[in-house]
Amino acid sequence: MFNEVYHNQKIRKHYQQLISAMGNLPSDVIRKKKQEAEETIRNIGITFSVYSDLDARERLIPFDMFPRIISSAEWKKINDGIVQRALAINAFLRDIYHTGEILRAGIIPKELVYQNPAFDVKMIGFDVPHHIYAPIIGSDIVRTSKEGFSVLEDNCRIPSGVSYMIENREIMMRMFPEILQQIKVEGVDSYPQHLLNTLCSLKPKNCYGEPNVVLLTPGPMNSAYYEHSYLADTMGIELVQGTDLFVDDGITYMMTTTGPKRVDIIYRRIDDKFLDPLSYDNSSLIGIPGLFNSYKSHNLSILSAPGSGLADDKAIYSYMPDIIRFYQGESPILDNICTWRCHIEDERKYVLDNITKLVVKEVHGAGGYGMLIGDRASKNNINKFKNKIKNNPSNYIAQPILNLSTVPIFNKSSLEQRHVDFRPFCLVGQNFTKLVSGGLTRVALKKGSLVVNSSQGGGVKDTWVLAE
Amino acid sequence: MLSRTAENLFWFSRYIERADATIRLLEVGYRMSVMPNTLQGYRNEWEAILESIGSKAEYIEKNQIFERKKIEFFLLFDKRNHSSVINCITKARENIRLARTAVTLEVWNAINSSFHEFSELINAKYNPKNLLEIIDIVKRQVNTIRGTILNTQLLNDGYDFLTIGTYFERADFTARLIDVKYYILLPSSEDVGSQNDQFQWGMLLRSISSYRAYNWAYGTNEYSYTKIIDLLILNTDCPRSLAFSVGKISEHFHSLVNLYNHSSKAHNQAKDISKKLKNKTAEAITEYGLHEFLLNFLDDMNDLYDFLNQKYFRGIQ
Repeated sequence: MFNEVYHNQKIRKHYQQLISAMGNLPSDVIRKKKQEAEETIRNIGITFSVYSDLDARERLIPFDMFPRIISSAEWKKINDGIVQRALAINAFLRDIYHTGEILRAGIIPKELVYQNPAFDVKMIGFDVPHHIYAPIIGSDIVRTSKEGFSVLEDNCRIPSGVSYMIENREIMMRMFPEILQQIKVEGVDSYPQHLLNTLCSLKPKNCYGEPNVVLLTPGPMNSAYYEHSYLADTMGIELVQGTDLFVDDGITYMMTTTGPKRVDIIYRRIDDKFLDPLSYDNSSLIGIPGLFNSYKSHNLSILSAPGSGLADDKAIYSYMPDIIRFYQGESPILDNICTWRCHIEDERKYVLDNITKLVVKEVHGAGGYGMLIGDRASKNNINKFKNKIKNNPSNYIAQPILNLSTVPIFNKSSLEQRHVDFRPFCLVGQNFTKLVSGGLTRVALKKGSLVVNSSQGGGVKDTWVLAE
Repeated sequence: MLSRTAENLFWFSRYIERADATIRLLEVGYRMSVMPNTLQGYRNEWEAILESIGSKAEYIEKNQIFERKKIEFFLLFDKRNHSSVINCITKARENIRLARTAVTLEVWNAINSSFHEFSELINAKYNPKNLLEIIDIVKRQVNTIRGTILNTQLLNDGYDFLTIGTYFERADFTARLIDVKYYILLPSSEDVGSQNDQFQWGMLLRSISSYRAYNWAYGTNEYSYTKIIDLLILNTDCPRSLAFSVGKISEHFHSLVNLYNHSSKAHNQAKDISKKLKNKTAEAITEYGLHEFLLNFLDDMNDLYDFLNQKYFRGIQ
């Protein structure tokens, strides 16, 4: 297991200043700072929702004050690796929705794509603006050794968490200004501006002037509503719900106090199936009838493009190194995690025989739900999962139980090691890519736990990418 | 601005104003309870209070008897009472959450902090001993929210909708309160101007924070029927009067008309209501019948809301 701070009994170089400033804080100072941080978070209203928990619809995100540091050399590798991946993913989606070269070359089995619920047959042959399907990609990165940064999954459709990246820094600047003055950390607050530039660069063919961009949210009940309002606010665009929009003669409008106003770009934070009841789930109450038609008539950009969730699929993920080689002609800079696909007989057999050494996941699962960690699951649960795999093998993949690297957290009066992962956010616009130097570090607050999801006892940390 | 945002801002302000009004009524109730009132008893007063916020039927349905502690709880914390302070603050916050991008971070912080502070009060069991403290907390919160809006919001169309919401609720509330009092206070014509009236009118003035204002405006503490009508309905210096509230509403509709460069029936209606009030005297109102006058006023306000709703919230031009 890799300890991000201590290596070979020594404090790693880029943590030295931080440890001398934060390593020996008296417990009453820690307690006071913790209270201060919590107060700030509560007042700003940084919350997330847990769907299963009706009484406490809004909860505060647990925040830990000990930052995770990434050296500039480490960052360079992550940056290059993520950009490479983001370009490959967009090339892959373009190919899949056009000629399907990668399928013809036999690199990915056809049925994995064509039978995939995230594959959208209506997108075949349609040219999205500048061939960018997924302009915002949040890939989860784990570290298992000094050199070993690997990508655990890619989130292309509606990755969330970027508001925490920015707010965590705001909180740290309030709480530890003296430390941030000493250590040269890259800023993250320019993200909304870059995001807006990215969205605007992908305006539809039939938009000739400055595009009107809106953020489409399912509403305040959604777990990421705070982030939706935060991003709309910092980008200076309208935060709209389905009921604020309508389509007339192929043009999308929003209702304003001065009458209908044309909308050119929708940064959507809702799932494909809720976009348009005429083209998707006709029982959806939050969709906008005619939206998809407006999109296909090039009067509107929907970002990310419908159907781009295909690249989020964990079975497709397992082919990512091949996808990178196929489209970029390069070897992957960041590793993939070794993945067994249960639809392949040999691999399934291995999974069933070694399940206690593996993590089993649903291919479309997210948020830490629907997964099994073999070495700590009950016998009962293991048997349940074995049956599930046998009954529906293509719905499952398995990966080794990863020993995620650790960073300390403030636990009452002392620093204690906890497992972390990392999600940077890559923007892909017309002819450019951009990663803001930072990201979201998620931390499993329970001792020994490997689950970092906020819905399951995870918290967040500020991430400091050091300036060169 | 999005139509929905305008609607959210309008209702946010109405709910804040309603919380404020409810808390003032509670304060009056509290004064009554510590006074040796021998005249009509608390019963009438509490009934009047519940009636003026339109919650009497709801209360009776749930509680049967009028009892101080129960009524206080009902007005402060009962989620089944649509005008309870907790419901007002919760709905105000829900509205502003939906319009989060239209208000400053400071305004959001102010309303969000009040919500959390008030929610903590609920978790503790209600003890009537704490009533005054709770009243002070809510008053302070409301003033902080208002002050923050004044100090940090851009004076744009959002500000107009916020202000219209406040004064709409205020005009509505003052009109209902006078009307309720009118019934209660005039069981027979002989009673008018009696000792009882003096006491009751004093309470009425307190409940809309105009107790001192009366003295300032008319240089006397002797209450007279016509002077009170003048103060609460016609006096444009009194920030709780109908004339003042409608004047504010009209002013902000005017600024919307200028900003959007588009006339609106709502603006014309507000001007008309304002004009009607300007041409009236307290004597004329009494002669016409206070109750009928107030009913007409509330009808006019309903029409005003319809025009507002159609034009700015529903986009029906």
